[in-house]
Amino acid sequence: MRRMRMPMSPAEARSLHAGEMILLDGEIVITAGLPTHQRLLACAEEGRDPPMRIAGGSLLHLGSYSRDTAEGGLEVLYMNPTTSTRFNPMMPRLIRHYGLTAVGGKGGLDASCAQAMAEVGCVYLSFLGGGAPLHSSAIREVREVACHDLVAHYRLVRLAVEGLGPVTVGIDAHGNSLFDTLQARARERMPEILARLAADREQA
Amino acid sequence: MPITYDAVKRLSGQLYDWSLRRVPADTKLGLRRALETETHDGARQILRMMLGSANRAEQEERFVCSDAGVPVYHVTIGTAARLEGDIRQAISDGFDELVARIDPPLLKHVTNPLTNERGYKGKDMPLVSWDVAGGADWVEMLCQPKALGSGRWAALETFSFPSLGQIEDYVMKVVMQAGSQHCPPVIIGVGIGGSFDVAARIATKATMRPVGSVNAEPMLAAMEERLLRAVNATGFGPMGTGGDTTALAVHVDYAAGHGYTPVAVCFNCWINRRTRARLHPDGSVERME
Repeated sequence: MRRMRMPMSPAEARSLHAGEMILLDGEIVITAGLPTHQRLLACAEEGRDPPMRIAGGSLLHLGSYSRDTAEGGLEVLYMNPTTSTRFNPMMPRLIRHYGLTAVGGKGGLDASCAQAMAEVGCVYLSFLGGGAPLHSSAIREVREVACHDLVAHYRLVRLAVEGLGPVTVGIDAHGNSLFDTLQARARERMPEILARLAADREQA
Repeated sequence: MPITYDAVKRLSGQLYDWSLRRVPADTKLGLRRALETETHDGARQILRMMLGSANRAEQEERFVCSDAGVPVYHVTIGTAARLEGDIRQAISDGFDELVARIDPPLLKHVTNPLTNERGYKGKDMPLVSWDVAGGADWVEMLCQPKALGSGRWAALETFSFPSLGQIEDYVMKVVMQAGSQHCPPVIIGVGIGGSFDVAARIATKATMRPVGSVNAEPMLAAMEERLLRAVNATGFGPMGTGGDTTALAVHVDYAAGHGYTPVAVCFNCWINRRTRARLHPDGSVERME
């Protein structure tokens, strides 16, 4: 299994293929907040700096509980993916403007996001939902937290991770999406599936 | 002895806490069985990770998922049980107390649907449904925290005098809408008939049945078996990235109604959070799940 150093370059992102499982080392940026995405989008529209530097890096749909430590540092107690599709309307602009090379979460993104990913050299990484014990133990350091006024899981958090995953390349930088392919395949199979259901009913 | 406010309050917090740090035994068994039949390598890897995550959460008392959902309780009161105090308030206070003491802390998921503001409190929280058990002298509490990941994909449509074929085709339509989204392999609850609210309630209760249990009504058992086969033929697989295991179980129940027939379909994600215990009049707590 390949280990990828984060943030990936566009060329490294393009070397990955849908369906491949990889492990992540290095630095990632996470958030699970719609308001956070709206802020990042507003910064892009108005030409302002975002609350945290994300250009050329990752923006992963992972929710986390972050807090200040007694020693004046930061800690993340647990993290886990959230559903990415609710960010569909915002992701193409964010991917293009910030040149993101990795996005991710669970459940995938739509075709317009996949198009932006192919243009920029960006992959979608599918994380295990319900994998908090595994994902959290890969955190090595909390480097930065922004948007403190938002609830914990909405904040932007920059983390150093080691051996995070395995994660599945759900959408690659060549326009291949496991999610779209599986949906299309299930649609194709549906007449046969429904015919089998009807035949089974007849026999029951 | 009466079943007291204090006992209900304490158990409300405990059931929620326990539900976050374990996957029910029947569901883990379902995952292990799926691992024996799953043919896709990536899907097998994901199923192994699920079992690993479940075991680690249990051993290290960690949360399985960062999304603790919102507090949902189903309470069954025996008609021979004696109650002391406001047990509705006890459930609410039990959740508040849990929020104050739980380690690690919960994220704020209780959402005002009109403003999307999030916190730990909200109108009608915790969500509680009530039932009675004839002759019983206990109070049974089931906690089933619910989150967006799978909750988002529940659906209901009302038909008039539908055939079984129409009902089953609708279940498959809802399965297609959910696609890869609901953290599969899922447990699917189907509620047929009654009225609008009753169908939804039946579907939800159907998800509480243990994975691997066989429906006592042969007609429904056959329906569950063929629907499970159909759902798994879609190929969405674990976490929706491909495989033979999109659902661990389809559970169907029904109520008589009029000629208009609501059909409700809902999903629990693979961690299938569920804890259940009974408070007995001698003061003992019987932990059931």
